[in-house]
Amino acid sequence: MINLQDMRDTARNMLAKNEVRGVIGYRRSTNGMLAEPVVITKPEQADELIWDPTCFHNLSLYLVEDRKFLAHTRAKADLPIAIIAKGCDARSTVVLMQENYFERKDVYIIGVSCEGTGVLDERKLVKKGIRATNSAFDGDDFVFTTEQGEQRIPAREVMADRCLECRECFPKEHNIVLGEDKTGRQLDAPFTALKRFEELDPAARWEFWDHQFERCIRCFACRSVCPMCYCDECIVDSTSFPVTGQTTADEKANRVKWIERSATRAENMTYHMTRVLHLAGRCIDCNECERVCPVNIPLRLLNNKMEREAREQFGYEPGASIGGPSLTASFLDTDPGKFIR
Amino acid sequence: MEKILAKNKLDDWVAALSDWQVSAPIMEDDIWSYKASKGKVQLEHSNTVQPPKGFSFPQREVFFSFEQIKGQPPRLTPIQPKAARHAVFGVRPCDGAGAVRMDTVFNDQFQDNYYQARRSNVAYVGLACNKPQGINCFCQSVGGSPVSSQGMDVLMTDLGDRYYVAAVTETGKALMTAGGKVFGEPSADDKKKLKQTHADALAQPQRAINNVDAVPAKLKASFDSPLWEELARACIGCGACTFLCPTCHCFDINDENTSSSPLRGNRVRTWDNCQFPDFTMHTSGHNPRENQGARLRQRVNHKFQYFHENFGMSQCTGCGRCITECSVGVDIVNVVNKVTEHVG
Ligand code: SF4
Ligand code: SF4
Ligand code: SF4
Ligand code: SF4
Ligand code: SF4
Repeated sequence: MINLQDMRDTARNMLAKNEVRGVIGYRRSTNGMLAEPVVITKPEQADELIWDPTCFHNLSLYLVEDRKFLAHTRAKADLPIAIIAKGCDARSTVVLMQENYFERKDVYIIGVSCEGTGVLDERKLVKKGIRATNSAFDGDDFVFTTEQGEQRIPAREVMADRCLECRECFPKEHNIVLGEDKTGRQLDAPFTALKRFEELDPAARWEFWDHQFERCIRCFACRSVCPMCYCDECIVDSTSFPVTGQTTADEKANRVKWIERSATRAENMTYHMTRVLHLAGRCIDCNECERVCPVNIPLRLLNNKMEREAREQFGYEPGASIGGPSLTASFLDTDPGKFIR
Repeated sequence: MEKILAKNKLDDWVAALSDWQVSAPIMEDDIWSYKASKGKVQLEHSNTVQPPKGFSFPQREVFFSFEQIKGQPPRLTPIQPKAARHAVFGVRPCDGAGAVRMDTVFNDQFQDNYYQARRSNVAYVGLACNKPQGINCFCQSVGGSPVSSQGMDVLMTDLGDRYYVAAVTETGKALMTAGGKVFGEPSADDKKKLKQTHADALAQPQRAINNVDAVPAKLKASFDSPLWEELARACIGCGACTFLCPTCHCFDINDENTSSSPLRGNRVRTWDNCQFPDFTMHTSGHNPRENQGARLRQRVNHKFQYFHENFGMSQCTGCGRCITECSVGVDIVNVVNKVTEHVG
């Protein structure tokens, strides 16, 4: 069991001793029982930190935000920033460092092990008809406070799919870590959800995605929440075309627009295909993109497909090592494709 | 016109609306959305994830198509929205109030014909909320009510085994008249029950904006508050809160080419939103709303200050969607309360 007091004490001490600029963690939101991301900068704020099954957010996104802020304000940071990181969050932090987004010395990783469980999938809870006002970890169970009193549910019944299939629920890359390493406790085999989906024949799969892409409203929550979607200019943004004093009206009118603003099926599909390719070998399956989608588009299936492809073709594991080769910027002598050799 | 409709007669009413395309909330992909009813209407929904605003203000509207053939003058072909008559069932009072806001915006100094062409063919058949639909409802803080008929053509109230159905507009009367014999006359007992149900609904606890009448002035005084940036610290700048809001109406207009030679395409209006970083980006590269704090301030002030100044009402109708659907806990009630708390 993670001792919340340890987490708070760690944060408090580091801030008090001026070892870090801030700690990115979770606090209770005002939206029901959910946690929300917070950056605390003063020791006395440490008691705001919480740790419960709704701490699903991948906080490494805020490492990216922090970097962008520093770059934008041309500020210098002498101290590292600390982050509370689950296994998946630590893996995405590794990817960011592998890509030199920041250096290892810039972050202090306070790892938290997911131990026997992972985090909650709120939708599964809603489906069970449970309206809770609080949630807590307890061994292999989640304990919810409801109007009818306390309700104990085996975690695996309401856990996020990614957690059921998690291969590494312990943040290997860390400065300090809270909780025990229970990696290997995998409840479902990796890619279980994907395999289930692939049992459908191609026509049915096509119809499925047709329907899904038709529904996307292009709010870009999936992109905005992803720590690896850090491009300053995303191809979907209207600002991705640099305009200078010399740019003519014709050039503006005829600029290449990779993707139109219209949220039509074809444009949506282009967006999602681009996104998933840009995330190949980088996505570490935190599943934030799917979680934040207001209309429940199952993006994890796309990400997982790429992940499995990379693993089967090249034995590639995203987020495994800071110094290791990256999927798209390296090649193997043993590459199965002849054209590359 | 006030009538009684037995719940098992609801489909008969829908069937009688042969001149109308009927839409109602349907549970699909684990969310409630307005969909063509296919003859079956069940009003057991909590509020839909997307409000009904798309019926009159779709995410994509084509204004005209253009064509430029060498040696010929450019040719523009205006496109008017196809005007199917739509009856939308199960609309919640916050979304009815939303329609009033949208109508106000699109008919203010300029009448938007595209909006109007659709809107004049949409009828809202509302359903009162006997209980709040979610934990983030606050309609009563923003001049609304869970039993309000604002923006509706008909308002239905669930009385257990029957609906109390009241026409609000002439269109509403026509819808009910089309139903003919499916309706019964309300008894004295039904009327008593209606009153009680509405009173109970109004007494249900909701979230609250503190000291709401003072909010516009206090926000005005807080433009430079450092709280905006602090409260927006977790915001990821997505479009969830605005795209799902029943009253957000910002749009962008683009030419979308379908062919480059000869040049052909459409001029298209699409939803836009003030939370996207490029929303206020100038061609020069300068962005007057530089950070997410400024963007949050725009969203909140538009709802709670500017709209008051322009139209004398809150733009926010308290549906709670932007709170529930925000993935990182940005909460408009909390933001308004926090920002206004310390202003004298
Ligand atoms: S995916 Fe793994 S590391 Fe991430 S929250 Fe779930 S169990 Fe923990
Ligand atoms: S979050 Fe969902 S609706 Fe929004 S752009 Fe992504 S897939 Fe589309
Ligand atoms: S693509 Fe989705 S699952 Fe993968 S890293 Fe980004 S947010 Fe996480
Ligand atoms: S407030 Fe929430 S929903 Fe709105 S832009 Fe920010 S993160 Fe997205
Ligand atoms: S601002 Fe939020 S609560 Fe208010 S009407 Fe819009 S979505 Fe609903």
